Amino acid sequence: MELQEWNPLGYKTLYRNLFKKHLARQDELLKKGRPVGWFFSFYPSEIIYIFDVVPAFPEQYSAYCAARGSSVDLIDASVSKGYGHFLCDYFKTTIGSIEEPEKATKPLMPTPDFIVDTRALCVAHHEMTEVFARKFGIPKYTINYPYWTSDALGYVDELTKMPERVEELYMEYSIAKLKGLFEFMEKVTKTPLDEEKFERVFETSEETSKLLIEITKLMMSKPTPGSQREIADLVFLAFFVLGSDYAFEFAERGYEIIKERVKRKEGVVPEEKFRLLTFGIMPWHSLSLYEYCEMLGATFPINLYVNASLHLCDSKKPFESMVRRSMHFTNSTYDLMDSIIENARKADLDGALLLENTGCRITSIIIRPLAKILQDEVGISSLILEAPQCDPRVMPLERAKTQVEAFIESLR
Amino acid sequence: MEKDKVNQLYNFFLTRSLLKKYRENGRIVIGTLCNNVPEEIIHSMGAVPVRLLGLSKSTELASAKIPTWLCLYSKRIMEDALKGEFGFLDGIVGMTSDDTKSHFFSAYSFYLKPRFSYLIQIPYVRDETSLDFFEKELRRFIGRFTSFFATEFSEEKLKESIEVYNTFRELLNDLSELRYADSPRLSGEEWLKLLLASTSMLKEEMNDHLRELLSKTNDFEGYKDYKLRVHLSGTDFYDVEIVKMIEEMGGIVVSDDLCTSAGYYKGFVEGKTLKDLAKRYLSQSACVLTSGVGNLSIEDRLEFIRERIRESGADAIILLKDRGCEICGHQCPFILQEFSDFPTLVLDLDSPYPTEQLRTRVEAFIESYG
Ligand code: SF4
Ligand code: SF4
Repeated sequence: MELQEWNPLGYKTLYRNLFKKHLARQDELLKKGRPVGWFFSFYPSEIIYIFDVVPAFPEQYSAYCAARGSSVDLIDASVSKGYGHFLCDYFKTTIGSIEEPEKATKPLMPTPDFIVDTRALCVAHHEMTEVFARKFGIPKYTINYPYWTSDALGYVDELTKMPERVEELYMEYSIAKLKGLFEFMEKVTKTPLDEEKFERVFETSEETSKLLIEITKLMMSKPTPGSQREIADLVFLAFFVLGSDYAFEFAERGYEIIKERVKRKEGVVPEEKFRLLTFGIMPWHSLSLYEYCEMLGATFPINLYVNASLHLCDSKKPFESMVRRSMHFTNSTYDLMDSIIENARKADLDGALLLENTGCRITSIIIRPLAKILQDEVGISSLILEAPQCDPRVMPLERAKTQVEAFIESLR
Repeated sequence: MEKDKVNQLYNFFLTRSLLKKYRENGRIVIGTLCNNVPEEIIHSMGAVPVRLLGLSKSTELASAKIPTWLCLYSKRIMEDALKGEFGFLDGIVGMTSDDTKSHFFSAYSFYLKPRFSYLIQIPYVRDETSLDFFEKELRRFIGRFTSFFATEFSEEKLKESIEVYNTFRELLNDLSELRYADSPRLSGEEWLKLLLASTSMLKEEMNDHLRELLSKTNDFEGYKDYKLRVHLSGTDFYDVEIVKMIEEMGGIVVSDDLCTSAGYYKGFVEGKTLKDLAKRYLSQSACVLTSGVGNLSIEDRLEFIRERIRESGADAIILLKDRGCEICGHQCPFILQEFSDFPTLVLDLDSPYPTEQLRTRVEAFIESYG
């Protein structure tokens, strides 16, 4: 198949700057002897800026190991220690790096002083934090947000996570647990809560979250202005560093860039042939898959996983905002997809590329119902690729490319 | 032991005949998707709670709907449901106990569209706030249930149901003593069959059967010619065939920490109110993911296993590691580490079972330690 010239937005430089600033902050705080916490996606990221802690993110670190080629050895190390084969790749990679650090990509994550466990996405976070907390003998704080059901929320906007209503009981309980988290943070960091800083961080979070939502909305323009190779990484901002100045700077600049693109009606490739929706965690070892599809003329105006990571933070209601962060479709029963269907219709799609991340029950169990909904409600067919996010052995890149080519061919 | 009686009861599990009969007689029948769904509540509202367990040996239909690598427990329920084996159900009640159970609830509801469905949110920590929340969550469930089925809930009726269930637990405790004897008068196979039977009928009826069995215990012959007393560790496991195979090889299963056995019946409701009930279900230490404040659930679980072994005098552990079970996957290494001075065998279970391979491994294990 003929490959077109690829014209990404150029977010690469923005990411580079973002990571530079994030790492510089880490170094500075480490030098000051600030405590280290391990956190997971959908945690209330504002806390790391409010309490000046050094964060480490096992999911991100595992993705890094996968991109650098060490994850396979780490996964094998974990299985040989008796952990299950069909567990989340992020867990297996991280525990592998703890058990056999010599095999892991450097720098390793700093050793944690405490761990925060939120069930805002998966119980796997709870399960793995238990293992990590026991290994390191460190305190852990658990929040379990509800696994949302339609009778508790009604309609939920896919991007802002503004629900039609919220079951009061669930909101109250989640907020009570969040308040407990702040007390826990005060204790483990030996730092009293600074109200002013709290407000400032949430204001930054609000501004950033608005921009990120606008970026994903603009991605639905025709032709698709950017590449998923760049957009998929927005989850790093949304999951881990929302509330920081550097995330805001990124979002501000990123928004300008994509806005200009859309104004010029410029696409990621000269000739957009098919518009695809995608979902699932991208296989970090085969990052060029999206790029390859785009060069074939199949662009991705919607990435449901990125959309799930977003929420509109309301700095006037910080606690509610933290709870709303958990109201994404991957943490909900499958009847909460109306907003997704609406957006998919608006985006004028031709098909979907869905990634079943073996070992991750969240992305995998939902995949077939999602494909059915997309077929029944939006009229598009899906290609499901079994692709664990850190283990290239199940779906080597070349095989994935062949399957994608055949799928695209079938869309003609 | 009265094999006939046990097999007759087990037959209710295999045929689901009583459940179908209850339904024909106008009772509401509710499938539960976790042993921590407080059955007493459903029972007190005049409905029949059934701990759903699939009977299908293979899972082709399920494989088209859910990932093939999930636990056997979820695949078999899906398979039976897709085959239309659960026609007697009026609804399902799930619980957010793990990812499989949460998302399986969603997938089941999506494909099977049960008339009624409710997912109970369970907190993972047993602090006061969570206990209070859990009690309110149970009230919320009651509200949804009564308005959907136009039934009534009363504290009085709940009290009666709690009594029925506590009696059930007491009778099983009494019966389990037979397993702890030097010459156990109840085999692991018989025990599991009884537990499975108990999921297929109203508990008051099961209690009558258990009483009858208990009244005849003196006639039961003890098992003397075994080589190894085994504790079974695992989750939603209920394959009688595997237990039978272990016992044919010379083991005798004297205790367990399975969600389908000890995890199902251990722990009384101390009191008669909804709060007491909430407390019992939240502090169910066999539940693999809840823990006391400042504790890790794995520590609570290890303690639960230690207690079972202390009671039963088991000499060895056989760990049933369902390849798709997320709990086994995370917790197995800790169990192995904790009991490192104890003979332990890990059986990786995947369907279809490599029966001969399992048999050889069990035989070698029992030969070495028996
Ligand atoms: S990959 Fe899946 S199981 Fe793992 S952390 Fe992410 S959502 Fe949870
Ligand atoms: S505990 Fe294990 S066997 Fe039971 S539902 Fe969860 S994953 Fe499946």
